[in-house]
Amino acid sequence: MIARRRKSSLQRTQQHMAVLFILPALAVYSLFVLYPLLMSLWGSFFVWRGLRMLEYAGMSNFTRLFVFPSGGRLYGALWHNVAWFFGIMLFQNGLGLLFAWLLFLREKGAAFFQSVFFFPAVLSPVIVGALWRLLLAPGGAIEWMLNGLGLHQGNLTVLGNSHTALAMLIAVDAWNWMGLPVLIYTAGLRQISGQIFEAARLDGAGSGRMLVSVALPLLMPAIGTLTTLSFINTFNQFDIVYVMQGVQGNPSYSTDTLVTYFYRLAFGAEGAVGITDIGLALALGTLLFLILSIGTLLMLRFFDRRTVEL
Amino acid sequence: MNTLPQQLARLPGWTALVLWTAAVLLPLYILVVSCFKTTAEIYDNRLGLPQSFAFDNFVAAWTRADLGQNFINSLIVTGGAVILTIFVSAMAAFPLSRYRLGWNGIMLGLFLSGIMLPIRLASVELFTLMRNLGLLDSLTGLILVYSAIRIPFAVFIFANFMRVLPSELDEAARMDGAGEARILFQIVLPMVKPAISIVAIFTAIAVWNDFFFPLIFIFDDRYKTVPLAISVFVGQFRTDWGLVFASLAISMAPILIMYCLLARQIREGVGTGGGVK
Repeated sequence: MIARRRKSSLQRTQQHMAVLFILPALAVYSLFVLYPLLMSLWGSFFVWRGLRMLEYAGMSNFTRLFVFPSGGRLYGALWHNVAWFFGIMLFQNGLGLLFAWLLFLREKGAAFFQSVFFFPAVLSPVIVGALWRLLLAPGGAIEWMLNGLGLHQGNLTVLGNSHTALAMLIAVDAWNWMGLPVLIYTAGLRQISGQIFEAARLDGAGSGRMLVSVALPLLMPAIGTLTTLSFINTFNQFDIVYVMQGVQGNPSYSTDTLVTYFYRLAFGAEGAVGITDIGLALALGTLLFLILSIGTLLMLRFFDRRTVEL
Repeated sequence: MNTLPQQLARLPGWTALVLWTAAVLLPLYILVVSCFKTTAEIYDNRLGLPQSFAFDNFVAAWTRADLGQNFINSLIVTGGAVILTIFVSAMAAFPLSRYRLGWNGIMLGLFLSGIMLPIRLASVELFTLMRNLGLLDSLTGLILVYSAIRIPFAVFIFANFMRVLPSELDEAARMDGAGEARILFQIVLPMVKPAISIVAIFTAIAVWNDFFFPLIFIFDDRYKTVPLAISVFVGQFRTDWGLVFASLAISMAPILIMYCLLARQIREGVGTGGGVK
């Protein structure tokens, strides 16, 4: 009886203490993350003048988003984000898998290569973008090397050319984050029991065959994590574009992304006069929120189903 | 042990690994040697060592471009956000992982949903909020926003580490009459030091590197952080390559030092948790 009363009084103090302990984190998180996010979603259904919210507007911000003159920008930016995602999947996560496999096969030196490959990932994308902007500039080090090797002549203008600029930014982004797939895949490979690879080798499978038929199906959780992370990062892409090509996504919007477009609408750098259009910005934000959350949920489910249990 | 054909078969693999290593290290090498060159020297001699190791570019970056002030601002914001995030997240994670409240799951879920939320899209409303609170052009404002963004990840890590500690630990302390705050700070927290270092490392990297929030909240040069200042330099000192290279080197120095000291913890943290960003 006494024990039970002590227990329930302990539980009462715990309820009180829990509220006290949780409150600071919850207050900061709610005020600066949850509240602005919910208000942004809500505000996308209203008419705005400057930073003032006026009357209810229904879906009109959304319909404006898809028609002239915003429609062209929207589809352009959306396409660049999609291309960016597939570029990263192929070049960063694909090549990263190959590197991870090579490191897995060689016990020697793996830690060294992992550390080197991951180093750019701890740098700010602003630093990475600024560095590559200098290296890729006309008269820069890359031009000099390519000319010296006889692979190229004259000025290197890959960042000023609307056909090549986006691919360059994707490559810089992959350079920045290559260490991430390498680390996640090697960790995944090390969790697979060595007996499985031993059995496959006794059956006469070569190392390429082992990667595709044995390791790949067992790496599904790692592939799922990386695909989802790359999807989220790609559709939030802003820093590299801003530093290397400016907030307009130069040349002629060929490197524009959804977040740079959002930034221009929200903080006034869109169009010749550079006025803000908060209603349109919030509608774009809501659209992007839907793309990200639905995309993420679908990916998580997709990879969850394909996870092989042993 | 390995025969020659076996070693030859490994050659393409080694070549690929060495090529990517070169792709990572060569730009960084160019960055370092260019810091000591004048702009004319950079054009004449791109890959070679500088004629002399003069620190003119560093001095110019630190004083003329005022990177020193930006550096101090970044240190204050990063330090403040790391301490605040660890403090409030550890406090929240303690009851959520160790008490039987009946609402642990819902509350944890609310925090964890923040790991995926694209907070940049809320920046218009966040801007209005910061203006109304008088937190524009303020390092305190940045500290609060960064802590808010990093709390979900920190709560997740702390809760995972605290959950697996034996329950006799706090029960015994309670018997001895220790208060709940003392149990958390003197008994539980010292036992989850790896969690503290994971949270500290990844919060520090994310905050030190961030560019988006200073871009929208900071207008006064006195409060600019390093990444924001760098984004201005790249345009402003476009012709003074030595100075830009030197400021890039200065801005990555703290992260480089931390990385050299903590490379193993970072590799393991990322490999198992995928904890960046």
